[in-house]
Amino acid sequence: MKPVYLSGRGLACARGLDLESSLAALRHGGAAPSFRLLPGEMGGHFPYFAIPYAQNNWNARARDLAQRVATEAGAQHTRSGALFIATSSFDIGAVEHEAAPMDYGVFADKIRNWLSWSGPVHVINTACTSSLNALVAAHALLDAGEEEDALVLGMELDNRLTLGGFAALQLLSSSSSKPFGVHRDGLVLGEAVAALRLSVREPSHWKLSGGVHVVDGSQPTGASAAAAAKMYQRALAASGLAADNIDLIKVQAAGSPGNDAVEAQALRDAFPVVPPLVSLKAEIGHTMGASGAAEIALLTACLEQGVWPQYADAVDGTLDVEFAEHMPADVRNVMATILGFGGSHATVVLERT
Amino acid sequence: MKTFAVSGRCIAVPPPADWREQLTQMLGAKPRRIGTWAELGLYGALRCIADAGEVTLPQTAQIWLGSRRGTYAATESVLQQLREDLPMPLAFLQTQPTQPLALLAAQLKWSGSACFVAGAGPIALLRLAAAQASDGGALLGWVDEMEGGASNWLRLRPCAATDKGFCSASAETLFSPHITHLRVAGTGRLEVRQGALG
Repeated sequence: MKPVYLSGRGLACARGLDLESSLAALRHGGAAPSFRLLPGEMGGHFPYFAIPYAQNNWNARARDLAQRVATEAGAQHTRSGALFIATSSFDIGAVEHEAAPMDYGVFADKIRNWLSWSGPVHVINTACTSSLNALVAAHALLDAGEEEDALVLGMELDNRLTLGGFAALQLLSSSSSKPFGVHRDGLVLGEAVAALRLSVREPSHWKLSGGVHVVDGSQPTGASAAAAAKMYQRALAASGLAADNIDLIKVQAAGSPGNDAVEAQALRDAFPVVPPLVSLKAEIGHTMGASGAAEIALLTACLEQGVWPQYADAVDGTLDVEFAEHMPADVRNVMATILGFGGSHATVVLERT
Repeated sequence: MKTFAVSGRCIAVPPPADWREQLTQMLGAKPRRIGTWAELGLYGALRCIADAGEVTLPQTAQIWLGSRRGTYAATESVLQQLREDLPMPLAFLQTQPTQPLALLAAQLKWSGSACFVAGAGPIALLRLAAAQASDGGALLGWVDEMEGGASNWLRLRPCAATDKGFCSASAETLFSPHITHLRVAGTGRLEVRQGALG
């Protein structure tokens, strides 16, 4: 069993078209999201973290972003490995513009061609947890010796279906993203294309120790505290770590009044002393199926370069959890968590080597 | 390379004429406000689990669901609604391919890993399942509602590895009623066996 390393990463998000520019934007502090207009009585203007890359053609924009992010992650060294495309919306934005058929196979082939990929391609959709589950699946293939390299490409781009659906479910904020915030009033969605390159051949600063996914059907659109606590406990057991070995948890904390409270309860239930917490949602929005990969790419870069997010809204004291105001010293074991639709709870454990 | 014994199956291509009645019986109530694709998935999964003689899954089991077209019908309908208004909330939920996984987990009073994989094929799904499977094995399904519908499921339990009696097989063989054991070779090729392991 060889260690599985996070050997490359790339990110295009609302803060920039690559990690360096995203980190630079983060250093300067919060930028306001743009807005999207949705039709109907319950429609209106909703804040949205769009990638600052203008292109009229949905497919050309997606291609450019996928190629530059994959290149940033070093995918050119890995094209015969396994490619995992993680998304909750496929290319539905192109379908909406009548620029693509609704066809999973065509979607996968399109990205395979964009990246000149020769290895197997898998498209994982477990809603918001897609990227983390793709990471878990890729880790398993590498751990089993079936592949030596893999690329997880999280991809969530502008479309009306996702925004309209979340608006219909009254899950969106009308103002801003406030993770665990006292004034939190919903999610702010965003775009991201993120790539994480895994390898057993190329050691790096980060090792992926594994991950856990727990689906619990008791809450069709939200998280369950029992399931999230179980997820943390299973992840600790699977990685051979004790609760006090975890130095930092990147939480979901998407700003949902109900889900944030459920997540906080799960943290208190699973950890006798809740580790330092961090959230990136106020910086890049909730990027759905891409969020796991996008936030891991950004967080690991932040930890390496000493950049730390700040939060405009005060944490809700009733949640009995708090964010680390400053970067914790000596971070070695990090959990990255996403909680999502369909009672899907996922976390992965990363070790800084 | 993990070897699995097929301990239960549901092969429904197309599903029987009374599949909805059977589903209602298995659920204890008529399913409401979910799409046909999710209903088909639930029908096949519950039939398969019953065929395996189980009433739920072990905590360490994993569910892997694949589809060529998944929630296309529900998505088309919601895209139409979006032209003039927001979609109906329950209609939007039907566009989510994870919906049957959550419903199945709730019905089984089970919580564990469950993934939807779009497109590809059942062998690719099996390969992913095999890489992650532990002692609880896997419930592997392939569901489509187009062209008359299909809901094929296998309950796979890990078993001792042996080369005896295995032969290469085409992807179509995966859901053959005669297969008792199967595995994916390192090359991604399906190997199957008929009859008990000696």
